Amino acid sequence: MTSSNWIKIIIALALGAALGVIYGWAIDPIEYTDVTPGILRADYRADYVLMVAEAHQSEQNSETSARRLALLGSESPAQIVTSTLEYAANNSFTQNQIILPQGLLTAMQTYQPQGNNAP
Amino acid sequence: MRHFLRSIFLHILIALLTGLGIGLAYSWFISPVTYVDASPAILRSDFKDQYRSVIAASYASTRDLARARARLELLGDMDPVGELSAQAQQMQASGESIEVVQLLAQLATDLQRGVVSIPATNTPFVAIVNTPTAEKLTTEEAPQIEATQPVEITPFPTSSFEQTPLAPQQLVTPTARPTFTSIPKPGTPFTLVSQDTICNIDLQPGLMQFTLIDSRRRQVAGIEIIVNWAEGEDHFFTGFKPELGNGYADFIMQSGTIYSVRVAEGGAFVSNIFVPTCTDPNGKEYLGGLLLTFQQP
Repeated sequence: MTSSNWIKIIIALALGAALGVIYGWAIDPIEYTDVTPGILRADYRADYVLMVAEAHQSEQNSETSARRLALLGSESPAQIVTSTLEYAANNSFTQNQIILPQGLLTAMQTYQPQGNNAP
Repeated sequence: MRHFLRSIFLHILIALLTGLGIGLAYSWFISPVTYVDASPAILRSDFKDQYRSVIAASYASTRDLARARARLELLGDMDPVGELSAQAQQMQASGESIEVVQLLAQLATDLQRGVVSIPATNTPFVAIVNTPTAEKLTTEEAPQIEATQPVEITPFPTSSFEQTPLAPQQLVTPTARPTFTSIPKPGTPFTLVSQDTICNIDLQPGLMQFTLIDSRRRQVAGIEIIVNWAEGEDHFFTGFKPELGNGYADFIMQSGTIYSVRVAEGGAFVSNIFVPTCTDPNGKEYLGGLLLTFQQP
């Protein structure tokens, strides 16, 4: 086989690989259906933290709030709320939407886990 | 020459297919598309349950029904009310505290009725609405009692995320009508006011239905009912089928078994309950049901 033919074969191989990658990434990518909350989009995460803060406002139960925040990942509850406050500051949240997580942050900063923290 | 051309064409085709396979393997298994901005709709079911619980807890605090509805829509449930009710029942069955279960049941009830039934409170609550008659339980909603004073509904502002599909900002909540609410006085016992045999061939045989109402004839959710029989005992609460009424609950009796019913917290005790026998127009017998109505004095 001549070198010209080898080049044709290599080009065909590369073309096939490129088509395969395009198909697998863009046309029919793997669909995720059972994801964890850790990869929620930032605005959904922020809204989730806001919900926890709203509930905390009336419940005043740091244990419950910390358990709810743990859904979002392995960061400490205070870090999760801090990230949300940063997001809120950069995305024109209303005053009320900032005050509530600030209250939650204060509670999480003073919160000391006790006993079983299983969600 | 012809053989050579066929040979090189075959080689190129095999190379193309091999490349395609390598490309697919790489894009599906070695380096698949990574989700970093997932929506709540694709969360695992147990995470969705927790998400729903937090929505219900937030709603209990803010009383913003439109916002709670929008948040539930993010989960992509076909029937959000049904999902809430089912989750409440599952949590109750798994021994979750009644306060947590009530949050879900209350949100399901309010979504079903389209009204915010109770004011913001940090105590376990029970929403009470007008009682439909026994015959209307499955078909009609109880009318809401309108407040005499106009009530300003100030929706909690929706997050103003630029890229988020969260709840649309609502200046008014047209469906939310204020209702009188009451919390049953602790210790006020429910008494049996009627025990009716229900002969309806369309109902499940042995269906024992309960309706619990307060002194103003409004249905009461979250009341525990205990059913005993020789071999066992069952506990359940009113309000988990909001489509049938906030004070509704039911239980399936077995033929030939004698039951007793007690409304928890000092309520009425009713004994010697069994499946009644009914007769259809052709004279054929079938198993009927019961409707027990309890009321606070």
